[in-house]
Amino acid sequence: MTPISRRAWPVAAAGVLAGCGKEPEKPVFRGTSPVTVLKADSYDIDLVPLILRGIEMSGLSPKGKRVLLKPNLVEFDHATAINTHPRVVVAAFEAFQALGADVVIGEGPGHRRDTFGLTEEAGYWSHFKALDDHFVDLNRDDIASAGPLLGRSDFFAAKTVLSADLIVSLPKMKTHHWAGATLSMKNFFGLVPGSVYGWPKNPLHYHGIDNSIVALNRRFRNTFAIVDGIVGMEGNGPIQGQPKPMGVLAFGSDLAAVDATCCRMMGIDPLKVAYLQTAMEFGAVLPDQIEQRGERPSDVRRDFLLISEFSHIRLS
Amino acid sequence: MPGTYRKERLDALLAAQNDDGGWGYFAGKKSWLEPTVYSLLALHASTDDSRWNRGWNLVRSWQLPDGSWRANALTAEPHWSTALAITLHCVRQEFDQSFHKGVQWLLSTTGEESTALSRFVGLFVENHLGHDRKFAGWPWVPGTTAWIEPTSHSLVALKKAAPHVNSGELRRRIVLAEGMILRRRCADGGWNYGSREALGIHLPSYPETTGLALLGLQSCPEAELSQDIARAMSLLGQTQSRLGRAWLGISLRNLGQNLPEDTRPLYPRDVLSTSLEALASPGGGHALLRPAALPA
Repeated sequence: MTPISRRAWPVAAAGVLAGCGKEPEKPVFRGTSPVTVLKADSYDIDLVPLILRGIEMSGLSPKGKRVLLKPNLVEFDHATAINTHPRVVVAAFEAFQALGADVVIGEGPGHRRDTFGLTEEAGYWSHFKALDDHFVDLNRDDIASAGPLLGRSDFFAAKTVLSADLIVSLPKMKTHHWAGATLSMKNFFGLVPGSVYGWPKNPLHYHGIDNSIVALNRRFRNTFAIVDGIVGMEGNGPIQGQPKPMGVLAFGSDLAAVDATCCRMMGIDPLKVAYLQTAMEFGAVLPDQIEQRGERPSDVRRDFLLISEFSHIRLS
Repeated sequence: MPGTYRKERLDALLAAQNDDGGWGYFAGKKSWLEPTVYSLLALHASTDDSRWNRGWNLVRSWQLPDGSWRANALTAEPHWSTALAITLHCVRQEFDQSFHKGVQWLLSTTGEESTALSRFVGLFVENHLGHDRKFAGWPWVPGTTAWIEPTSHSLVALKKAAPHVNSGELRRRIVLAEGMILRRRCADGGWNYGSREALGIHLPSYPETTGLALLGLQSCPEAELSQDIARAMSLLGQTQSRLGRAWLGISLRNLGQNLPEDTRPLYPRDVLSTSLEALASPGGGHALLRPAALPA
């Protein structure tokens, strides 16, 4: 888990020969990270024991921690599967509560200002009667400085985010028309408060989508992921793609490793996804760095349709 | 006397006022400029002067030296909600130096895609969002792209400010921003945050941004809005979004549509929605967001 310098690498010597000997020092992840994949055929099964098993198999102990569950809510369309399914969110809430955590659910959608309206459309209120007591709109929460981030000397984030001991990313498994795939790392865009940075959160685009994904994941390191891959989205994601039944949930503390595993299940080469290339500095992306638990990704792989702009990221 | 629907919202706003005179987005949370301005507009002429003035004084204290306004006590950067502070000055008939500095800041701000440098660079690089750079609007944050909502708020502010500011630039920016909104209309007839399409595929409109876009287009001589009003009425009939229903109600009433009073129960935790619902109710102050030139 300790980053090491690349300076001693032969590639650096080649840089010296090319007159670029002062290449900035870049760390690279060394070690292994566990990622657990469990089958879940539908949202109608009891997901709580499955999530408890995934947490346990991943070696996480959330007892006594303030846990922020961060689902992915973007827009709502009855015809497709854009958002993290409410049953996954409710089951994760109950599982973390059963393990002794102090749990809150929070999201800051990037397009829609009415977060509560979106949660209502997406079925969160009908599936979770006590949502009002446990949900925070991260776009309009009280804020505090998170220090320098995303090219800003003083970046502001929701207090709920900054006070969490553990941020649990609960994304939908989807393709993405700008980033290739949107999974647990990209889901951190919803941590950025719209009340400061707008809808869409345009400073993230100016900083570069891939750069912003990496920067947010460098800043927020106490993490866990539960990826809703029961039904994902393929094609022109994250909004206008088609539902893709996958029948899996993926778990892990190393979000880069979880996303790399999900990519492999989706038939996407994670080494060709730009933000995962950079994330190799702090997370496990290479196959031999990831200790796969539960299902093997190759056994549950179902290739997601890719738009032509991302046909090159197909896993061979 | 306000009707029951509006009165319970005004009572909720009074109960949620913070000690510093402002309002948070949620009851019990720290004050922000946006919910403070809309709460003051909703309570305009409905509360005693001392409570209103405490909110007003807080707004005044948040103006930055460059004329812009900060979003809250913590941030020190210019913010899109400067437009709201200018609108509030117009409602209060306060056309002093603070007002004029705010207007000048707004006129000096544009979406990044419409700066001279960006327009020059745009001659050589692909414009994948399809935005027409000539039609400048306003961004949420300086240095980023213009979007529908901050542009609409700025149009409301500048149209109200127009009789009190002798500026050809103000009139030019109004025309350009109206053009920007009209060119970003979605194929379904409404507006979303400000992109008609992504990768050549049409994107859907939203209720709240459709309401806001129509608010920005009030009194626009170039706009024939009958189709847009029909789309807005359709969205109003479909959506359960409090924010969407409130913004559609405000703009449609201002555009002369006869709407029944909303009947959804109060959700006092959400201060912004509560204030906008009060403004959207019949006689609830939505006319405060009409341009000065429009008949009442």
